[in-house]
Amino acid sequence: MSDHGAAATVLEPTFAPPAERRSVLDRAHVGDIEGALGTVSSFDTGPRRSLRRRVATLLAIMGPGLVVMVADNDAGGLAVYGQAGQDYGMSLVWVLVLLAPVLFINQEMVSRLGAVTGAGHARLIVERFGRRWGTFAIGDLLALNALTLVTEFIGVTLALGFLGVGRYVAVPIAVVVLIAATLTGSFRRWERVMYLLVAASAAVVPLAIISHGHQHAHAGGLLPGVQGGLSSTSVLLIIALAGTTVAPWQLFFQQSNVVDKRITPRWLGYERIDTLIGTLVVIGGAVAVMLACAWAFTGTPLHGAYHDAGMIATGLRTNISPLAGDLFAIALLDASILGAAAVSLSSSYAVGDYFGYRHSLHRPWRQARFFHGTYAAFIAIAAIVVLIPGSPLGLITTGVQALAGILLPSATVFLLLLCNDHEILGPWVNSRRLNALAAVVVGVLVALSMTLTITTLFPTINVAHLCLIVFGALGIILATLGIVSQRTRTEAQRTAYSEWDRRNWTMPPLETLAEPRRSRVRWLALVALRGQLVIAAALLLVKLLRLAVGA
Amino acid sequence: MSPEPASRPLSVKMSEAVADVMFALSSPSRVRILGLLRERPYTVGELMDALEMEQSAVSHQLRVLREHNLVRATELGRQRVYALSGERVGALVDDAVEHVARLSSPSAGRRAEKRRLRRAQ
Repeated sequence: MSDHGAAATVLEPTFAPPAERRSVLDRAHVGDIEGALGTVSSFDTGPRRSLRRRVATLLAIMGPGLVVMVADNDAGGLAVYGQAGQDYGMSLVWVLVLLAPVLFINQEMVSRLGAVTGAGHARLIVERFGRRWGTFAIGDLLALNALTLVTEFIGVTLALGFLGVGRYVAVPIAVVVLIAATLTGSFRRWERVMYLLVAASAAVVPLAIISHGHQHAHAGGLLPGVQGGLSSTSVLLIIALAGTTVAPWQLFFQQSNVVDKRITPRWLGYERIDTLIGTLVVIGGAVAVMLACAWAFTGTPLHGAYHDAGMIATGLRTNISPLAGDLFAIALLDASILGAAAVSLSSSYAVGDYFGYRHSLHRPWRQARFFHGTYAAFIAIAAIVVLIPGSPLGLITTGVQALAGILLPSATVFLLLLCNDHEILGPWVNSRRLNALAAVVVGVLVALSMTLTITTLFPTINVAHLCLIVFGALGIILATLGIVSQRTRTEAQRTAYSEWDRRNWTMPPLETLAEPRRSRVRWLALVALRGQLVIAAALLLVKLLRLAVGA
Repeated sequence: MSPEPASRPLSVKMSEAVADVMFALSSPSRVRILGLLRERPYTVGELMDALEMEQSAVSHQLRVLREHNLVRATELGRQRVYALSGERVGALVDDAVEHVARLSSPSAGRRAEKRRLRRAQ
């Protein structure tokens, strides 16, 4: 405070850390972090020395990772975990354990992109790969999300049907709760509602515990292998496990949610812990469901006779106890609502981000009608589709898997390329080691999703041969990439950044960025993606023609 | 929204709204678009030529400006013409330009002020 009486001296300004000159697409994306369990002010640059302060900071920042991960165990997820447990006992638990690092690597990359660039995934794709790829990504994402949302509402009706509530009561209530949670314009309130849903998902833990006491037979273990040997159905189930665990909407959701939560590079360490906690919770939940179903059904007539998630609840009631059935139904209901909230939010984030409209949970309806309108429209349409008698719900589930297989490759390949873009990530680009790891992860995911797309469209195909072809192609592509990237020397680009630079680096405004560097890896990846899309489109066309002729 | 007396602090609501408008001015290409629109209304094509920007980029920035009520679009035949949504918007840009010019070089600041006065006459 200056003394007005004394002779005033003009003070030269010292340059503040760039938290405030961060470039974002919506003004509401800069400011204090207002988490469900705490606040971090935007100008807070103080060190966190004591454990207590660190925990407090973590509690405030935690959220995007935990919510995206738990929402990942959605209606489709629980159904697939239940199916694996019911039909294959414990023999597929190893798949889930392998999926944990895959999930973490992908989600860590998107949260880094979000914190450093302040932009959503869709916008970055538009800016760095052109409008055509961006339009494709957003179009496919919206179609896929709309269909996924229908499966979430199917989960709601199955769960409440089991609990004895009619769908014409249950679905409208779910719609109102979902819309009310976002509409008030308080990020904190939204996150608190999400945390309640996350807490309720713990219902699977007592479910696994009471099922354990009732195990009919000991089955399987943690070592890779499949009960009854590898067959076409078991391979597809493994792919479905991977597919439901790593879904495209998650990438778009966490990146936008990190931006909306106002997390800057300074807090990335805490955001990583958040993602890690989320990964452990999601895999723990999936294992609990799988084990409960394994213990409940192995050695009974229902083993190998999976029908749908509602039948799992019924089976748990007869094989274990009424409480077990109820717990599963509650978990399914909770998972469906949380999934619906996150999936539709990923749509409205992406739309706002792509078109340049305001898109933030910090804004009430009046300030962001387009954002909230998109969100509400998605939920309402999905609810109506579920309520219409005779909707082709089976076809919708198939559509989800086919579309995810088409979108996931481009979303993950772009993710990897973006994470190597020095213009947008500066000191936060992937290390060489992470690139090698991520390339394998992305490659395997792409191969798996391609296999799933092809077999979803053509159920009669020989899966073993198909896997051989797809993974052979993957091996060739990865080997080529490895050789090419060994030869390319990117070290010239790498400038030395101090720790302070790293913490405070933020992407300059998108329009001022230089064109992406043309590298051989980038060229190869884009060519491979185009090839994948041409193949997928051709397959889809053949399938549609067949359907038309057949019907 | 009526202007509030200067002695009282701005309400939270008002300051949020002002910050939103200033956000719309926080990108160089949006400032350049507004700078052109001070003189006369433009079509997207004219803006593209004048600023050497791609159509998608111009449309994107115009969308942001329209959402913040800084720019208004009118249909003229088959074309859309964009204009500032009010006198005040032009003054806002003028003042900002003048402020910056003054900081970087006092003489340029005076020149900008003269230009503005000339236009006002």
